[in-house]
Amino acid sequence: MMLVKKGVFFKIPAIVLCFILLTGCWNSNELDEIGIVVAMGIDKTDDNQYELVAQVINPSEIATDAPTTRPPVSTYSTTGKTLLEAFRKLTHKSPRKMYLSQLRLLVLGKDLAEEGIISSLDLFYREHEFRTGFYVTIAKDTDVDTLLSTLTAYEKIPANKLMNSIEAVETGHGSSKGITIDELISQIHSKGQSPVIAGVFMEGPEEGGTNISNVENIDAPVKLTIDHLGVLKDDRLVGWLDEDASMGYNYILGNIKSSVITHPCQDGTASIEILRTQSSMDAAFAGGEPSISIELDLEGNIGELNCPIDLSKEDSIQNLNKETEKEIKRLMEASIKSAQNDYETDIFGFGSLIHRKNPKYWKTVENDWDTEFKDLHVDIQVKADLRRKGDSTQPIIKEG
Amino acid sequence: MDNQTISPRQFMFLVILFTIGSSIIIVPGPLAAQAKQDAWLSITISLLIGLTLILFYNHMAKLMEGKTFVQATIMVFGNWFGRFILFFYLSFLFILAALVLRNIGDFMTTEIIPETPLQFTHILFLIVVIWGAYLGLEVMGRSAEMFMPWVFLLLLFFTITLAPQINVENLQPFLGEGFMPVLSTSTFVIGTPLLEMVTFLMIFPYVKDAKTKRKAWVLGVFIGGMILTLITLLCLLVLGSDLTALNTFPSYKLAQKINIAGFLEGLEIVIGIIWMLTIFFKMVVLYYAVSVGVAQFLTMDDHRPLLLPLGMGMIVLSIIAYPDVAYFETFVGDTWFPYAFTHGFILPAFVWIGLIIKSKRDKKQKDLSSHS
Repeated sequence: MMLVKKGVFFKIPAIVLCFILLTGCWNSNELDEIGIVVAMGIDKTDDNQYELVAQVINPSEIATDAPTTRPPVSTYSTTGKTLLEAFRKLTHKSPRKMYLSQLRLLVLGKDLAEEGIISSLDLFYREHEFRTGFYVTIAKDTDVDTLLSTLTAYEKIPANKLMNSIEAVETGHGSSKGITIDELISQIHSKGQSPVIAGVFMEGPEEGGTNISNVENIDAPVKLTIDHLGVLKDDRLVGWLDEDASMGYNYILGNIKSSVITHPCQDGTASIEILRTQSSMDAAFAGGEPSISIELDLEGNIGELNCPIDLSKEDSIQNLNKETEKEIKRLMEASIKSAQNDYETDIFGFGSLIHRKNPKYWKTVENDWDTEFKDLHVDIQVKADLRRKGDSTQPIIKEG
Repeated sequence: MDNQTISPRQFMFLVILFTIGSSIIIVPGPLAAQAKQDAWLSITISLLIGLTLILFYNHMAKLMEGKTFVQATIMVFGNWFGRFILFFYLSFLFILAALVLRNIGDFMTTEIIPETPLQFTHILFLIVVIWGAYLGLEVMGRSAEMFMPWVFLLLLFFTITLAPQINVENLQPFLGEGFMPVLSTSTFVIGTPLLEMVTFLMIFPYVKDAKTKRKAWVLGVFIGGMILTLITLLCLLVLGSDLTALNTFPSYKLAQKINIAGFLEGLEIVIGIIWMLTIFFKMVVLYYAVSVGVAQFLTMDDHRPLLLPLGMGMIVLSIIAYPDVAYFETFVGDTWFPYAFTHGFILPAFVWIGLIIKSKRDKKQKDLSSHS
C-alpha cells in the first residue's frame, strides 16, 4: 500500500509537469501571426539608404474557393540604413511579423547592382530563417517596387510566377539562368569566376500592373518577363549579355537542358530541337600560356523545317548537323567575345579551371586575372547528332 | 561504480558517438578556412596520429589493471600528489563537458529557437544527461546500441540525398596551397575530439572482455573519424571550401541544400537530430566520467549524490565559459590544442611513466619475495 502511494506521489506531479511544459514552445509562431514573405526587393535610395520591398501572401486569398476582389499578395516597402533595420521597420505597415523561410525570389535594383551587391547580401546568408534555395535576380529597366507590385495572371503569386518562369526558361530555352544566393556569394568571392544574374522586367504600360484588373484580362496588359543574363564584375553589374551570348554562356557551361537552334537552310530556315548536351572544359599550357578548349556534344531532333531538302538522304542530316554545330559555335563565340571585349570579366570560370589544373601558374595571375582573361585563347569543338526527324519523313514544303 | 559493465561493442558505439559529437559542428568550418579544399585530408592525417594516441591509452589502461584513471593515479602518486594531478584531469573533463553543452546551446539558439534563453536549453538538455548518468553505464551502453543505427541511417540518408549536388571540382586543386596548411590544421582535429578520448580512461575498466575492448577503442575512433571526414568532404563537395569556412554551422547549411525533386526539402533537422544524439552521448560519457571521478577522488561509494550539484555548476560554467562565439572560435583555434594536449597527453604520460616504474618495482618485489 505504501509503495503504491509513493509511486503515485511521484508520478502525478511528473505528469502534471509534462502537461505544463509540453503544451507550448517559447518560440512558437502561429500561422495566423506571421506574414509569409515570398519575394523581396532591395535597392538604394538617393540618400544612400536601402529600400526594401516585401511581397507577402494574403492567405485568405490563396486558400479560398470563393475569390474576392482583393489581390493575392500585398507589398510593403520601407527604407533603412541597413536591410535588417528596414526589414524590422516593415512592422510599422504590416500587421504581422514577417516569416522568411518561404522566400522564392530576391530582386536587386539596378542602381544597387551597379554600385555593388555584396554588402547587401550579408543579411540573406546570416539570418537563420532564410533558406538557400531562392533565386537572385536583377530588375532591368523597372524599379523594384513597381516590379514586385505587379499582379500576374495564371500564377496567383507573382514570386512563384517569376521563379517558375526562370526555371521554364532554363529548361526550355536556355537563354537565362537562375542563381541561388550561395552560388552567387561563392562566385563573387572566387577570383576565377564572376557571376551572371538573370534579369527580370515589366512589360507594358508603367501603370496598371498593380491593379487586380490587370489579371482580369485574357491578355494581361502588364506582364513580368524574364530577361537575359546580367554580367557582374566583382560584385558590380557591368552590362547584359544579349540572347545569343546568354545562350552561348549556358552552352559553354553545359547548363542547357533543352533548347532550340535555328539556322538558314537553302531558301528557308530550319529549327533543331536540342534534347541534351554535354560540355567539358579543359585547360592546356603551351609555352607557359594557358588556353582553354571546350567540347560540346549534343543530341537533337529536327524540330521544324521550311526548306525543301530531301530528308531521306543521310547527307541532308549531316548538313543539318554541320549547320547546327556552326550556329552553336557562333553563340558560344559571341558569349566569349562579349565577356572578353565588352565586360572584361571571366563569367565562365576559366580562371577557376586554370586554378584547378595548374595552381602554381594561377598564383602568378590570380590578382589580375581579368586582364589575362581578355587575351585568353579559347578553342571550341561542337559535335551535333541529330537522331530523329519527328512525325514527318519529309519537309511538308517539299513536293513529292 | 556499482559494478555495472558494458560490452566491447557498446563501448565502441560510445566511442564513435563521442568522436562525432560536437566535433561535427566545430570541425569543418575552421578546417576549411585554413586548409581550403584539402580540409578532409588534414582530418585523415590527424586520425592516423589519433590512432597511435589510442594505442598509448590502451597500453596505459593495461598498466592500470582494471582501475580507473583516478584510482590508478592515487595508487601511483599517493593521496596528496595524486589528487593534485587529478584536480587538473577532472577539471579538464568538467570544462570540456560545459563547453560541449554550450555548443549545442549556441546551435539551438542560433538556428532553431533564437528567442529561448540559452540557460533553458542547457537545463533541459542537462536534465536528460543527468538522468542518463544516474541510471549508470549499462543503460548508457544499451542506449548507445539503440541509437547507433539511427545515426548511421540518418547519415546514409543525408549522404544519398546530397549526392546529386556533389561537385568534385570543389576538391581541386589537390594540395593547391601546399602541404603545410594541411599539416598545421590537423592539430585542430587532434585537439577536438582525439585528445578528449582521455575521458574513456574512466570508462575503460568497466568494459568486459580485456582483449576485444582494445580493438573496440581503436575501431571506434577510426569509424568516428571516418564519419567526420565524410561530413567534411560533403561540406567541401557541395558548398565548396569558401562557403564552408563562411558558415557558422556548415553541415547544417548543407542539410538545407537537400532538395529532392522540389518536394523533399527543409530537411535540415535531420542533421540536427544527428547532432543532438551524438552530443547527448558525448555529454553523458563526460558527465558520468566526471561524477565517477569526483566520487573516487573523494572516496565516496556512489557517484549519484554528486550528479545534481555538479550539474548546477556545469550550467553556470557553460553560460559564463565564454562571452561570445568569436571568443569561442579563438579559444578552439588557439587555446584548445595546447590545453587538451597538456591534459590529454602530458598528464597521462606522466602517470604512465609512474605506472611503468611502479609495475617494474612490483615485479622486482615479487621476484625478491619468490626467491626468498
